[in-house]
Amino acid sequence: MAVARGQTQRRKSSTHESFLRHGGFLFAKLSVALCVACIAAYFLQDAHPRPSGGTAVGYVLGILGAVLIVWLALLGVRKRAVSDGHYSLKAWVSAHVYLGLSLIVIATLHTGFQFGWNVHTLAYGLMLLVIASGALGVWAYATLPKTLSDNRGETTRKQMLAQIHALDEQIHEAAQPLQRAEADIVRLSLEETDIGGGFWRRLLGNYGDCANAHALASLGPALRVATGKEAEALRKASDLMQRKADALSLARRQMHITALLEAWLFVHVPATFALLAALSVHIVSVFLYW
Amino acid sequence: MTQAITLRMITRQAGGGEIVRTKRLEWDDASIGRAPESDIFLPDLSVDMEHALLKLTGQSRVTIESVSGRPFLVDGKPSTHVELEALRGHTVTFGDYDLLVGQGGEDDIAITVMRREEQHHASVSLFSLKASVFGRRKMAWTLGLAILALCLVLPLAGRAWLQHTHIHPDQQWSTGPLSKAHAFLDKDCQACHAKAFVAVRDETCLSCHRASSDPADVARIDAKVTAKGSPFLPLLVSDHADHAKLAQAMPLPPTIRGQIAGVFQAALNHPTDRCASCHREHTTAPPDPNVPKTADVVRAGKPALIVVTDCTGCHSRLKMRLPSTGLIDTPDWDRHPDFRPLVTVGFDGPQPRLERLALASHPLEANGLTFSHRIHMNPVGGVARQGQALGAGRGYGAALTCQSCHRPDGGGFKPIEMERDCGACHSLAFAQVGGNLQTLRHHDMRNIVGVLRGSLPPPIPPSVDAGVLRRAMAPGGLCVDCHTVRPSAGPLGGEISPVHLADRMLPWGDFNHGVAAHAGVGKGAAACADCHKADTSDRSQDLLIEGVATCKACHGKTEHDTAAFAGAQCSECHSFHQPGQAPATGQDRLFTALGLPPGVKPRGLPTF
Repeated sequence: MAVARGQTQRRKSSTHESFLRHGGFLFAKLSVALCVACIAAYFLQDAHPRPSGGTAVGYVLGILGAVLIVWLALLGVRKRAVSDGHYSLKAWVSAHVYLGLSLIVIATLHTGFQFGWNVHTLAYGLMLLVIASGALGVWAYATLPKTLSDNRGETTRKQMLAQIHALDEQIHEAAQPLQRAEADIVRLSLEETDIGGGFWRRLLGNYGDCANAHALASLGPALRVATGKEAEALRKASDLMQRKADALSLARRQMHITALLEAWLFVHVPATFALLAALSVHIVSVFLYW
Repeated sequence: MTQAITLRMITRQAGGGEIVRTKRLEWDDASIGRAPESDIFLPDLSVDMEHALLKLTGQSRVTIESVSGRPFLVDGKPSTHVELEALRGHTVTFGDYDLLVGQGGEDDIAITVMRREEQHHASVSLFSLKASVFGRRKMAWTLGLAILALCLVLPLAGRAWLQHTHIHPDQQWSTGPLSKAHAFLDKDCQACHAKAFVAVRDETCLSCHRASSDPADVARIDAKVTAKGSPFLPLLVSDHADHAKLAQAMPLPPTIRGQIAGVFQAALNHPTDRCASCHREHTTAPPDPNVPKTADVVRAGKPALIVVTDCTGCHSRLKMRLPSTGLIDTPDWDRHPDFRPLVTVGFDGPQPRLERLALASHPLEANGLTFSHRIHMNPVGGVARQGQALGAGRGYGAALTCQSCHRPDGGGFKPIEMERDCGACHSLAFAQVGGNLQTLRHHDMRNIVGVLRGSLPPPIPPSVDAGVLRRAMAPGGLCVDCHTVRPSAGPLGGEISPVHLADRMLPWGDFNHGVAAHAGVGKGAAACADCHKADTSDRSQDLLIEGVATCKACHGKTEHDTAAFAGAQCSECHSFHQPGQAPATGQDRLFTALGLPPGVKPRGLPTF
């Protein structure tokens, strides 16, 4: 019973406090302190001919940076493990974000502001890419879920797809009396409409060449000249296709927001692997050609 | 019974199962289309209202012909007219509908109509970005492994297999450009990084930079470096002192941080007493906003010099760390010990016996000569008169100056040669034959004695008896004018002392007589007499050099003190790698290089 109450409390607190504010910005403060210490060490050192990764402070910054990178990458492992207690996943994410940002300072000081076309700067660049994509992720997680929720209202994603499917069946039924030319236009909507589309289409929300929209536009002239049963069928199909366009628009907005919410991970995760590889090469090569 | 068409319409139910409706067409043809009145009704938008006509044409044979002109598929192939053998079984496709044509009972043609279920109901996973692109995990592994392969495995393999090709994948490991001095090694990492995971060792540096007294060693190094593509020959360095002594003499870093760093560096096999500890490659000087950005910013002229321990660091309290040393501490320029010149104190046989003696002890030099600088430099004495008599045509014409005998040669002077520098006045002629003077060959005692004794044939037979020799060596004789004659047990009753004229009395420091400020050129510059009190010296034993205080009159002073103010860095007179010489600058090397004949490579990088 006590356990159950504890879980309830934890759930409540996690509902009301984002990972950014976790523990009263504990990890933000820790990160700032770490950065200040590193900056002080950097400027207090007496490095000749200039600060670099090869000085005593440079080695300390390098070791610190490498340990942080490996630990930050382990979030991918940690988030798959179910655990409780003080080291909650939220605490990990909070530390991940703030310590990850502190890496900008630590790693830049480690370089001594020396960059070149080499594997060392590659590792640094990849690290910045990982951090930048992570920052985008933080922004996305902070703002997009509400937009996503507002967009779908009370409709579930399953209902959105079911509605489009149902409309397709109705359009097919309604178009049965149509002659070949008009039927072919309706087929465009039924057979060529791509609900989601590729990576960039989803990310940019650009569906200008939607087959349903084309079909709807093409039905206009036919609608003006048609008479009798044919006209009635055309009107019915046209109405249904307009409803389909609305349903598609809703689903696609949902996909666009979802894409924005997920896209950063398509950079963050592969770039992290690339960074771990480049970091390994950086460390091995530096000592191999010591 | 006549042949007819048996039509079986199969409809799949949503919950599974099928509904089969059978109809027998008693006539010998059947219309196929989307129109509800069609015999074979196919409610599919890709089927025309009246699409095709099926006809029985014989026993088990049918034809299907497109009425609208739109084709249909027969066993997967498009067609507008086809004749089929029902016994063989065929599939004719209109839109989503398959018509299976076969042999039915009672000679009927059986047409089974089925709708293909190809509709894929999209799942909610369609909303996720995962659905549309290359998987994140696969992309991550691909990228990671590609970097490992291209940036680690390839360079490692290249070290072994691509050494002698133009491909150098390990260059991507370079942390920065090499200096101009080593730029020709840019693509040959292993020229310096000879052993994996071992910091660059002195042996590697010295394989191109070790000075040697053996010209063959130097030639081998020059050839090796030239073969590697260097546009100039390497600078050669001598040991400052024995390496063990240097290590012992080096003080601990002054700060706790430095001492801790030293412990770590020693533990990591990265000691601070290596050549590369001071001479750092792959680094550039920090950007100076006052210096316009040029290529030099990217590539320095020579490796950056890091002073791990400076001169005064080692040469302070040296005795505490190195009890065997005879060196006096020099904690700074103000406390630079006075000179201890290398003085000829006597001779062991023909070899001079040299000792370093403190200038303060007023040492005398036993150089074997009798000579008065005062007499020679007196502007109104007999020597001056003789100079006038000799005339400008022979390089005199007036009272003697320092340069009358000490002839400048670069930063120093040519060694004194009796015939050239003294012979104009001090003749070695001993006889006259047919109007020609017979002259002895100075420096060659065997010749002189032989000639004077008549035992060696001179170019022209002498007519002098051996008594001349005794007279020459007697007080007031020819030799005694300049030479010290010491008693000996020989028949002459004496012998000429060996002569040793010191080329350098301060062999561990450099002094460039050619510098304007040292040659009396310019305001405040030192003339010869400021450092050498020759005009008052009557004895050849006088050293004629001043103490370090004379140097301090200019060195270490500011422009407010003297117009000839100069620096007081150790390197003004001392070089770490060329003991006894001041370090040559790139500009010195440039001027040397400009004087070289075409095709001869300069030693060291000539630069401003």
